[in-house]
Amino acid sequence: MAYNKPLPRVNGDNQEFWEGCRNHELKFQQCASCGHIRFPASLVCPKCLCSDFQSIVSTGTGKVYTYAVYHVAFHQGFLEDLPYVVAVVELQEGPRLLTNIVGCSPEEVSCEMPVTVAWENVTPDISLPMFKPLI
Amino acid sequence: MLDAGLCRYVLISYGHNAFSSASLFTMLMDFAGDDAVFGHFGATGGYALAARRAMHEFNTGPQTWKHIAVAQRAWANLNPHAMMHGKPMSFGDYLSSKYVVEPLRLPDNCLVNDGGRAVIITTLERARDLRHRPAVILGLGQHNPSVQVTQSGTLTGSTGARKACETALSMAGVTRDDVDACQIYDCFTYTVELTLQDYGFFGPGEGESWFSEGTIGPGGRMPVNTSGGQLSEAYYMGLTPLSEATMQIMGRCKDRQLGPATQTKEPSIILVSDNGGILQAHSCCVLGRI
Repeated sequence: MAYNKPLPRVNGDNQEFWEGCRNHELKFQQCASCGHIRFPASLVCPKCLCSDFQSIVSTGTGKVYTYAVYHVAFHQGFLEDLPYVVAVVELQEGPRLLTNIVGCSPEEVSCEMPVTVAWENVTPDISLPMFKPLI
Repeated sequence: MLDAGLCRYVLISYGHNAFSSASLFTMLMDFAGDDAVFGHFGATGGYALAARRAMHEFNTGPQTWKHIAVAQRAWANLNPHAMMHGKPMSFGDYLSSKYVVEPLRLPDNCLVNDGGRAVIITTLERARDLRHRPAVILGLGQHNPSVQVTQSGTLTGSTGARKACETALSMAGVTRDDVDACQIYDCFTYTVELTLQDYGFFGPGEGESWFSEGTIGPGGRMPVNTSGGQLSEAYYMGLTPLSEATMQIMGRCKDRQLGPATQTKEPSIILVSDNGGILQAHSCCVLGRI
């Protein structure tokens, strides 16, 4: 069956991130001047405004900063997933991502819970970084 | 513009067929952007993320929010224009209602409705000659942290509310102790708690006990959202709280009028809030009587 959920709109700003995801790598920009690791990608560092950066690959581990459990599907594609968990995960390197927590029931999720990336290959070009409990 | 004589009267209006059209839903779906990839949509989800983090950091949750939802419903039952007039709600009704995006239940969410609201602003000099006693803008303040929800460090306060309120009170030359009632932008119950907390009415986690004394309902010592608010009257964005504060100061609220009719203090000073995005923008207004 064709994938029936929304897909990311890849553009010049987020292309490197989604290409990284296709290779199961979480890639972020690190400021060449102050070392701040930022997300989403931007032309200059939000901390020091320097435009030079290098790309780093995250370890893919972090913790749940916060989460919400959807009991209503606002899009048909998510109907079968109810109830499902949307979370903000804070990676070890610092950036925070909006994502889903998978691999456990919604009742088992908590703030500060350690998690690790769980790749979901949804099309030949797109893999989504979801997260599961770190055991 | 009024002071400079460029115009005499300014109409601030809001109207929307949000219930009978798809426009609000469409706007919120566009607002989701790539968050939709993970099934994250609209405002409820964003506020649910903020509310859940607050539950982790201090004492809050349904046991706090039920007081807000139930008190505002009680006000709505004194307001024949309210969508929820004639639909009383108990703590039990609240706690047994369905989750939309947990931890937020249906009655934690504002309404979706058709309708509109407007206020007219003019100079005090002109207002004195009009038929009704005016409400006077004594102070204004704005503060907009503006960071999107995933990167925000202020989902649990202090949001822009704290500085906006300080600025508005200082311009008005009054203190929080002079405030007789509040009309708080209540897209969600949690927004009411966090705004009042950032305004300094209670400390983080003290909301449950502050609200539990019937503080904000009819007969309470600090009435809040006396029309029923966006939760129980109608959603007109910032015009719901602003128009209600104006009407209360003017003394035009009939059964829900602050003062002897509702065993509350007659209002000389009302604090009004507006809020945008997911706790990303805040404005505060102090209205008073002459």
